[in-house]
Amino acid sequence: MRTKAAPITSLPVREEMTTKYSNLTLESHSISMTERPNMPAEKNITLERPSNVELTCQFTPSGNLNSVNVTWKKGDKLLEDNYLVNATGSILYTQYRVAVINSKQMGSYSCFFGEKKQQRGTFNLKVPEINGKNKPLITYVGDSVVLICKCQDCLPLNWTWYTGNGSVQVPIGVPVNDKYVISGKHANETKLKITQLSEDDQGTYWCHAIFELGESEGHVELVVLSYLVPLKAFCAIAAEVVLLVAIILLFEKYTQKKKKPSDDGKEIEQGEQLKLDDSNGIENSGPRHRKNESVGQ
Amino acid sequence: MAYRAEPPDGGWGWMVVLSAFFQSALVFGVLRSFGVFFVEFVAAFEEPAARVSWIASIGIAVQQFGSPVGSVLSTKFGPRPVVMTGGILAALGMLLASFATSLTHLYLSIGLLSGSGWALTFTPTLACLSRYFSRRRSLATGLALTGVGLSSFAFAPLFQWLLNHYAWRGALLLVSALSLHLVACGALLRPLSLAEDPVVGGPGAQITSLLCHGPFLRYTIAITLINTGYFIPYVHLVAHLRDLGWDPLPAAFLLSVAAISDLVGRVASGWLGDAVPGPVARLLMLWTTLTGVILALYPVAEVPTGLVALTVAYGFTSGALTPVAFSVLPELVGTGKIYCGLGLVQMVESIGGLLGAPLSGYLRDVTGNYTASFVVAGAFLLAGSGVLITLPHFFCVSAPTSKPQDLVTEALDTKVPLPEEGLGED
Repeated sequence: MRTKAAPITSLPVREEMTTKYSNLTLESHSISMTERPNMPAEKNITLERPSNVELTCQFTPSGNLNSVNVTWKKGDKLLEDNYLVNATGSILYTQYRVAVINSKQMGSYSCFFGEKKQQRGTFNLKVPEINGKNKPLITYVGDSVVLICKCQDCLPLNWTWYTGNGSVQVPIGVPVNDKYVISGKHANETKLKITQLSEDDQGTYWCHAIFELGESEGHVELVVLSYLVPLKAFCAIAAEVVLLVAIILLFEKYTQKKKKPSDDGKEIEQGEQLKLDDSNGIENSGPRHRKNESVGQ
Repeated sequence: MAYRAEPPDGGWGWMVVLSAFFQSALVFGVLRSFGVFFVEFVAAFEEPAARVSWIASIGIAVQQFGSPVGSVLSTKFGPRPVVMTGGILAALGMLLASFATSLTHLYLSIGLLSGSGWALTFTPTLACLSRYFSRRRSLATGLALTGVGLSSFAFAPLFQWLLNHYAWRGALLLVSALSLHLVACGALLRPLSLAEDPVVGGPGAQITSLLCHGPFLRYTIAITLINTGYFIPYVHLVAHLRDLGWDPLPAAFLLSVAAISDLVGRVASGWLGDAVPGPVARLLMLWTTLTGVILALYPVAEVPTGLVALTVAYGFTSGALTPVAFSVLPELVGTGKIYCGLGLVQMVESIGGLLGAPLSGYLRDVTGNYTASFVVAGAFLLAGSGVLITLPHFFCVSAPTSKPQDLVTEALDTKVPLPEEGLGED
């Protein structure tokens, strides 16, 4: 175990690196770990531009501080220098510094504590993520569509579009033609406009954002339907409506036909009952009931 | 053709209730759920949301201003052919909209064409419903109007599903197919000949007599005032809650709770309107006053529990006033003139509706919060309920059901020699 009395902020970094990259921004990130093997200690760090990165792991061992072995790895490769270890009270600190200038320095950096039961903390250095669209875009034959890829807080250097043919990605717009137009109002988004859609244009489209530190991609799925698809549903529902109307009107005609023959009989009766009523006021309930039936048609 | 002395109050009337239920669902449910399409239109035509929202505004305006046209045609030809034509127009508008290439195209197809279709369906149907019922009129109207609330629940997720699977063009095509069911609903409206029909004359004569009818004019003013305040909370409640610091999800949930209590209020008020003796205008005044008071209390409530309670109460009372609002009219003008009467009322009250929301928004911009808007809305409602007191027979104990009969027996003595015994009953 290497212990140094010097404070954690001054590092035994090689001189060239300090002078060469001192104008880069400094990113500090730390992970705090305790002796609990179940907790995955992992942190995702998004880097867009070249910068100096400082990774700190802090560990509280259950046993003796001096018996803990500290190592750093990038991926599977063991790192020799650029890190220091310090102890304050019962907490063990280790810090790794790296100047990230291109994609070679990106990846996973892990700090390891202990020999038998190794505690691990991982820092994932990544380029910013691109958002395409999670839901497929539905369009129709002959329409035009605009596919958008956006990056929230980043400004890529360049954007390129590919169409996915299985696992192979074919670039779009290389022979510049009218069908594909790549544009973008702001640097953090790109728009691909496709005109004269046909069913062959269906599939997945990939947008690549190029940074100094690597590439990031997003995808948009395009579905091209023919007009017949909703039209069939429309015709089915329209036929159902016509059927309903026919049933309703036929039912009404049928019930009216049932009432019609008895109607004439009742109307004749009504005229005769009137004559009886004038002279006979006692039997009011009978004739009145029948009269109402004929009136209430 | 024999004329009925009284509305059947049942029988085929319940099929008319069913028809009215589906029609209010297909007209207002579609309008209320159209917001789901707005997001798609904004993206597809690259136009600001304000311009896209004109589509619905034009549709509502055409539906309301066109109501008298529906009324006049229904008086002449009966409600069935008018409503069926309206259904075809509404569906045609949506069908043409699915081919739209610009926003103007949508203004004309959905706004103008579908709006005219809706104008020819809703008012004649409600008027027809009033003719089929007298004792159970409020309940029938309340049940029919629940279609609006239930469809808002169902159509919003349905439209979203359609958009996810067919994009907006296909979705509009299918909404057009859905609107075709208005034609089937229209087929259910069997013509009904009531005894007063030959007496009241053609549409021109009816409109002239209505415009000289004092109680009718006062009722129209009252309804216009009520309409001005009525829509404001629906439009601004969520924004008001957000201003107070609520998250969007609980705010939307509270709106759903209000919709449920609105539904309950409609049915309960419908039942109550028929059960309580006396003119229905009194119940309308009760619900309107309560709604106005609740609205005025809104600025005072800051605590979440208070707001929830107020919103539930508001939902109930504002839902309760709708069926009785429609029931007052036949009592005032009789079932013979109901088509023209309802059409005129809808046209005038729409002025209130159009003014209400922008006025409230303006007050909010000027004062910085919604306090003034809610208080003004409450004031409009209270003013409307005040005008209702001036309606005839307001303080009577018994129901004025003899009124349409009086009209009939008066005219019949002079015009048509029908036997008097059959009409003298109550």
